[in-house]
Amino acid sequence: MRVEVRGLTKSFGQVRAVSDLGFTVEPGSVTGFLGPNGAGKTTTLRMMLGLVRPDAGGATFDGVPYAALPQPVRTVGAVLETAFHPARSGRNHLRVYCRAAGLPVSRADDVLAQVGLADAGRRKAGGYSLGMRQRLALATALLGDPAVLVLDEPANGLDPEGIQWLRGFIRHLAHDQGRTVLVSSHLLSEVEQTVDRVVIVGAGRLVREASMDQLRSGADGAGTVLVRSPEAARLAEVLRGTGSGEVSVDGDALTVQGRTPAEVGSRAFAAGVELHELRAHTSGLEEIYFRLTAGQEQFAAATTDQESAR
Amino acid sequence: MSRLVRAEWTKLFTTKVWLGLLLGACVMVAGFAVFFTAFAGNPEAGIPAVGTPLYEDLALSTAANANILFLILGIIGMTQEYRHRTATPTFLTAPQRGRVVTAKVIAYALVAALFALAVVAVNYLVVAVHAGALGAAPALDGDNVTTLASSLLALTIYAVIGVGLGALMRNQVGAIVGGLVYLFVVEPIIRSVPATAGAYKWMPGGAMEALTATLAGPELLGAWQGALVLLGYGLVAAVLGTFLAVRRDVA
Repeated sequence: MRVEVRGLTKSFGQVRAVSDLGFTVEPGSVTGFLGPNGAGKTTTLRMMLGLVRPDAGGATFDGVPYAALPQPVRTVGAVLETAFHPARSGRNHLRVYCRAAGLPVSRADDVLAQVGLADAGRRKAGGYSLGMRQRLALATALLGDPAVLVLDEPANGLDPEGIQWLRGFIRHLAHDQGRTVLVSSHLLSEVEQTVDRVVIVGAGRLVREASMDQLRSGADGAGTVLVRSPEAARLAEVLRGTGSGEVSVDGDALTVQGRTPAEVGSRAFAAGVELHELRAHTSGLEEIYFRLTAGQEQFAAATTDQESAR
Repeated sequence: MSRLVRAEWTKLFTTKVWLGLLLGACVMVAGFAVFFTAFAGNPEAGIPAVGTPLYEDLALSTAANANILFLILGIIGMTQEYRHRTATPTFLTAPQRGRVVTAKVIAYALVAALFALAVVAVNYLVVAVHAGALGAAPALDGDNVTTLASSLLALTIYAVIGVGLGALMRNQVGAIVGGLVYLFVVEPIIRSVPATAGAYKWMPGGAMEALTATLAGPELLGAWQGALVLLGYGLVAAVLGTFLAVRRDVA
């Protein structure tokens, strides 16, 4: 199921929170929805799901707006909040929404097991840790076995192990099960290993919509390979001899331009050179994200003031 | 719609708020009934003697005093969605928010009717035992059953008013405090000030008094008119709340 956002606009008083925002989320892939805090991500997601009324524009799920979906819970699952009635158990929380959506209440136990909360299901949600709340929110989203998942900062409050689990789980939902996944974050590094595409927003406007490969190729230092080898000097000779671009040596480390890690590796192997490290230089990705979004929060108020002054 | 109504019942009965309110209402009504019976026939209290029809009318309508707890039941039923931020999953499940409010009105009217049945039963049992010990237990005759049924109806409608008020205000503490202040401060003043007493019959308290009237007071509507006015307040609040408050952005 394809999600399309077109012309989405929303102001809160004088502040333009989201401005003519449009993007597409494709099935079978994970799309990262990135931007600094205050860029309008949560407002956008809430507008897509009919919780906040847009001033203009809207979102559709295979052409149908959320409020018009015949079975919204079976179509779209969303993690927007980790707030629950503190005196109600996680399992009963899920059962409420099973009943409301006409699903068998046994789904509550299914999804609790899926997110690793089976043992805590009968405890009151008020006693849950932040990570358990995130898992319960995810379980709520999965109740209807939806084709689309919308996750707002799902890694918040998860411990490193939980984040690792979440990454694998999200990839599984999209790549193995073919679901459409949109996951928001204010950190590119947090979702870098998970997402296939990115939609980057700043100050409520679209900054960049691209695949991760496209983003990487535009990054500073893209196409640079870092190599470490006890025979760095000999490897440099080998690489220069095969017509590689720029090769620079610094102790046991080499920096190679214009070659992929695979190409460098196969040439080292052919020459019998021992390698201790071989990787693409990716730090530029964070830099390009920072450059794309830098200062956008501060601009938000200033831009609106100028617009209203005109 | 039946799914949403059942979901509301699951919400209500998976926390213990209902138990506290129901027990509270039963204890409160039992206390009032004992109080009225103990002072029955006391010339200074002005309560008629045990065995008179007026005493029975008075003692068997103490259940209506639990109206504040039924109001709170309805208020909590609606406002907990905002207080605990479960409005998000609730409105994701049912994007047409008017249907959620309608489901709550139906769910809480039915639950309140059941709870009110328990409360009037406690009312009757306490009076029957206490007045019986004093020599004249009231019979379950037509008049007395009508009195008890009037209380049951009034309590049920107050829960609906609570849902409507909660929908209008969204803020749980504000709605409960507002309800208490209105019922115990504003209405008694309107009722007792001659200039405004004429309007009292159209107010929720006046309408309830018309339905369950006992003590002498200002001019009131007929019983069925009172019931309709009371129900009207609940439904108008629910409809206004849906359009003015519940449909607002859930951020």
